[in-house]
Amino acid sequence: MNRGPFIFLGVLIILVFSWTTVVFKPNQTVGKLVAILDDDQGGRLPRELQGAAQHGKEVYQELGCIACHTQQVRVAAGMDIERGWGSRQSVARDYIDQDRVLLGRKRLGPDLANVGERRPDAAWHLLHLYNPQINSQGSNMPAYSFLFETRKIVGRPSSRAMDLPEAFAPPEGFEILPTRKAESLAAYMLSLKVDYDLNEAPKSLETMADELAIALENAE
Amino acid sequence: MSFIDNIFSSLRPELSGDAENRERERSLDSAIRFPLLSLIKSSLVWLVIATIFGLIASIKLHSPGFFADRPILTYGKVEPLFWNSLVYGWLFNAGLACAVFLMTRLGGRPGAPTIFLTISIVLWNAGVMLGLIGIMAGEQLPYAWLEFPAFVGPVLFIAFVGIALSCLMIYHARAYRSSYASQWWVLAALFSFAWIYTASQVMVVRLPAQGAIQTLINSWYIENVFGLFLAPLAFATILYLIPKTLGSHVIGYKYSACAFWSWIFFASFSGVSDMSFGPIPVWVSSLGVVASFGLLLPTTTLSIQFLSSLFRKFSVIWSSATARFLFAGSVIFLILMYYKIFGSLRGSLATTQFSQFDSGVDLLALFGFAGMIFTGAIHFILPRLLNKKLPFTTIVDLQFWLQLLGVMLVSIGLISGGVLHGELINESTANSIAVVGALKSGFFMTTLGMFFFFLSSVCGVFTYLTILLSNRVEAERNTNLLHEAPELEYTAP
Repeated sequence: MNRGPFIFLGVLIILVFSWTTVVFKPNQTVGKLVAILDDDQGGRLPRELQGAAQHGKEVYQELGCIACHTQQVRVAAGMDIERGWGSRQSVARDYIDQDRVLLGRKRLGPDLANVGERRPDAAWHLLHLYNPQINSQGSNMPAYSFLFETRKIVGRPSSRAMDLPEAFAPPEGFEILPTRKAESLAAYMLSLKVDYDLNEAPKSLETMADELAIALENAE
Repeated sequence: MSFIDNIFSSLRPELSGDAENRERERSLDSAIRFPLLSLIKSSLVWLVIATIFGLIASIKLHSPGFFADRPILTYGKVEPLFWNSLVYGWLFNAGLACAVFLMTRLGGRPGAPTIFLTISIVLWNAGVMLGLIGIMAGEQLPYAWLEFPAFVGPVLFIAFVGIALSCLMIYHARAYRSSYASQWWVLAALFSFAWIYTASQVMVVRLPAQGAIQTLINSWYIENVFGLFLAPLAFATILYLIPKTLGSHVIGYKYSACAFWSWIFFASFSGVSDMSFGPIPVWVSSLGVVASFGLLLPTTTLSIQFLSSLFRKFSVIWSSATARFLFAGSVIFLILMYYKIFGSLRGSLATTQFSQFDSGVDLLALFGFAGMIFTGAIHFILPRLLNKKLPFTTIVDLQFWLQLLGVMLVSIGLISGGVLHGELINESTANSIAVVGALKSGFFMTTLGMFFFFLSSVCGVFTYLTILLSNRVEAERNTNLLHEAPELEYTAP
């Protein structure tokens, strides 16, 4: 082992081997998936992000929400289904549209893969972003009040103004409006739902029951 | 020397060589003084910055109102700022300082073009700073330890290649033809990082692979930064410093080649085990578990080498600060590997996945193992580089105890707190707010630990400034006053 090239070669062989098995091979098997067209489930699967939600994803990435929130549902371990965080295992095809994937590694807060289904109200999300203590008392999520602006009311109050409870309301004569970033982020939250089934994913109980019923009908 | 000879000598490392007079070492040190001091200086500055970010991040977990109105210091940004300044700022600079020092001393001939090396170091630190500013400005990428904006990647890569090439030139110019285990570890670390950084930059940042694969590559990268870069540099440092501080050979040195190759092999696969239950093929994470258990072999070998050498001269640990850092680092290495190996099992992950446990183990690896070793080495390097004695040894002692206390508090707070966290999020349906409530004490403990880290980093800066600014006393001016152990690396045990 007295020569650099020998060590270089050995390390290179090991690393290439590791890269081939751990990175290249999985990339060949589940890294070249395409979207599915299924008219029964409403067209293209997975669903594409639209307009404001696409911008909201960028805001999510910019603010580093991924530090505390995952977007993946597991079936083989954990209590994700029991908690109502999803109805089936997340699979690779669910993420094919994300050029910057937001799976996440830590859950200091809840999983958000299906938050749009759990909390379908944009106003709830805006209040939660403005100050999580309003509707999640005791949470350690920081307030994103910098995504909102306080404005003096001139004439009539804006229709977009936040409807805040007494303790969080701005001083008399002022109103609080969400900025475009806050609105996009709320739109992104609403868009987060995995409400379709894929053949490779372990299915939800309802779909399996439906399929069984159809199969039984056909058999008769 | 043929290829076959090399293979044989890798199985039975050669220790024959020659011991030269002491004058040579002084000239060696003076040849690399400037770049080495820049590395040490930047590592200390980044350490202070990193611990401040870490303190802010950990306070935010129990008091979310802290700095909440500052968009650039929101938790989602402070967290990556902390990890990136810690890894690329502190540990890379400190680790590379050890690498440059070891390569020069062991090679026995100054070979690095000082200006080239210094420019690379400046470029590296400029890249890290740019990356941190990018994160603050909201350009961060959602990959752990790869959050730096895409344009920083090439800067860091070029800078790293510059530093690595300088180390290779030092190695190439060496006077002693036989090589010591430290040199293998340094070479492996330099080759590996250049490769894994390229692979992850290309496949995740530049031409992103499809969705879930990005996370897989991310896991592979994180584990390899530790397993194939930071840990090898720390091993190299320990193997070099044990003979120097204890004055005796490394016990079981002949098993070094076995430990070396098995570590590189298994570590390169072990990172992917944390993708268990996720949207990737199951066999990939199973491979990670198998590889993690393979790490038992090199872990045992290395621990026996380090700890039995240190226990044989246990009295030195009380008198030499460097030996104390080495001892603490070696013990923490064993604890760390216990968590890493058994934490990779699917049974453990069913509890600890997505919890604070991972951060706890990572901080144990960074602060507890690599950090301890590099800090000890810096206290060894500085007096030799400047030919002065450490002016305030009490401060060095204080730094040691503060850092050890910090490691203990943070790892208890995050590892046992993480197990509790995991039990609550993975094995119960307690709502998120109840989970946060249960974790409060762990969060406070982490804050306290981070505060100790901050104090210890201030001690480090203080030591650096005082030794740099103090005047040489008469004895230091005209003699080579630091008596070192003879060159045990090149004599047969």
